[in-house]
Amino acid sequence: MATIATSLNIATQRVVFTSENRSVHLTGPVRLNNPWNLGSRTTSRMVKFSPVKAAPEGGISDVVEKSIKEAQETCAGDPESGECVAAWDEVEELSAAASHARDKKKADGSDPLEEYCKDNPETNECRTYDN
Amino acid sequence: MAVSTIYSTQALNSTHFLTSSSSSKQVFLYRRQPQTNRRFNTLITCSQETIVIGLAADSGCGKSTFMRRLTSVFGGAAKPPKGGNPDSNTLISDTTTVICLDDYHSLDRYGRKEQKVTALDPRANDFDLMYEQVKALKNGIAVEKPIYNHVTGLLDAPELIQPPKILVIEGLHPMFDERVRDLLDFSIYLDISNEVKFAWKIQRDMAERGHSLESIKASIEARKPDFDAFIDPQKQYADAVIEVLPTQLIPDDNEGKVLRVRLIMKEGVKYFSPVYLFDEGSTISWIPCGRKLTCSYPGIKFNYEPDSYFDHEVSVLEMDGQFDRLDELIYVESHLSNLSTKFYGEVTQQMLKHADFPGSNNGTGLFQTIVGLKIRDLYEQLIANKATARAEAAKA
Repeated sequence: MATIATSLNIATQRVVFTSENRSVHLTGPVRLNNPWNLGSRTTSRMVKFSPVKAAPEGGISDVVEKSIKEAQETCAGDPESGECVAAWDEVEELSAAASHARDKKKADGSDPLEEYCKDNPETNECRTYDN
Repeated sequence: MAVSTIYSTQALNSTHFLTSSSSSKQVFLYRRQPQTNRRFNTLITCSQETIVIGLAADSGCGKSTFMRRLTSVFGGAAKPPKGGNPDSNTLISDTTTVICLDDYHSLDRYGRKEQKVTALDPRANDFDLMYEQVKALKNGIAVEKPIYNHVTGLLDAPELIQPPKILVIEGLHPMFDERVRDLLDFSIYLDISNEVKFAWKIQRDMAERGHSLESIKASIEARKPDFDAFIDPQKQYADAVIEVLPTQLIPDDNEGKVLRVRLIMKEGVKYFSPVYLFDEGSTISWIPCGRKLTCSYPGIKFNYEPDSYFDHEVSVLEMDGQFDRLDELIYVESHLSNLSTKFYGEVTQQMLKHADFPGSNNGTGLFQTIVGLKIRDLYEQLIANKATARAEAAKA
């Protein structure tokens, strides 16, 4: 086995398989040796792998809803326990992510040419002419 | 299952190896041991030093809006890295790179659940890596920064961050660790009062399924002890604090629509001279609305005074109320001094350009814009100073 260290900048083509809501990860008995596919598994600074939770169909809104239910259940016993606090912190994180996703969607919904021209008004395709 | 192809430029260096395996006659690109991932990759690109700005605030307190205003002052829109992870938290413009400190979570969402800690807790964050990488970027060295994916709650493959002219680190703990704090050329803390935080989160979350007034309140209250212990104390280190409080113009108002906003500016910070109203160092109360300017209800009130904040000498500029018309904004701008604008009306122009951002008609938008201009000024002074120092060194 030859090992060659390289200090080059190269463009690599990465093929990533994801479902629409990013919930499907490669699992099962066969682990393909293509580390660029593994995403967080190769690079996570966590010591152990976490089970990848499948996001429900409705996307992040459903996850937010579910996290609220979980937080309420967790806190039913002891509202000051670390578990309860961590559960509500997860609700906050997901709510913020849902809000950012809404903002992003709003921004993406606008016309791409107009978006481009906002930043590049001097280019030919963005010029407007009076008679 | 959708198949997507992502092209990205990856810098390969000492921690990546090309291996040819004789048994399978294939070439694999792989990373060494997982533990070496902690050691970030380095790539020296330029000798110019980066200035580092820290922005601290709780989640849902307007960091993103502030960042959009700040990058706009420098010109050009800030965008996520092209061709990278679509869930990257980084924003890049010509001059500025904004990185989110959530990327330095040492525990992902499942890890925090297991350990029963919040993201606010320092135990959930890797300050050693944060320090190493911010220091490297400040010294002009590119780094491979992890990505915390807010959707999945997991840490994604790292992204390469090149040293920018201005690096902004925003998040929960930019001033928590002393080593990181010492790297900051300027720091800002957004201090949102509980009443306003509650009002903002209602606005943000009420439409979200599953949320109710009770759940919003419960979440704020549950996080409060950690917030008070780990986030709030950072404000004592900030060079500028933007405090957001309920208005005093409407008695017993707690709707959180009209706001009283205070800009607390530390005196004696190098390259930063505070904004003032009429006469530097005096105490002034100013109601611009009157014979010359008519304002709509409940009007606008300004206050300016020297004060002390955590034993530091500070200047405080306060605005209560909101702008409903353009002439109100221009009138106010023309009475403020030391704004570091490049032309008359630049503050107004910036505010109008982003009239759709939250807070564009009140003190939050005004003071965020002003702080943006002060940071631009600080950057230009620093660069000019370095150029002079270099020229003198060359002469000697």
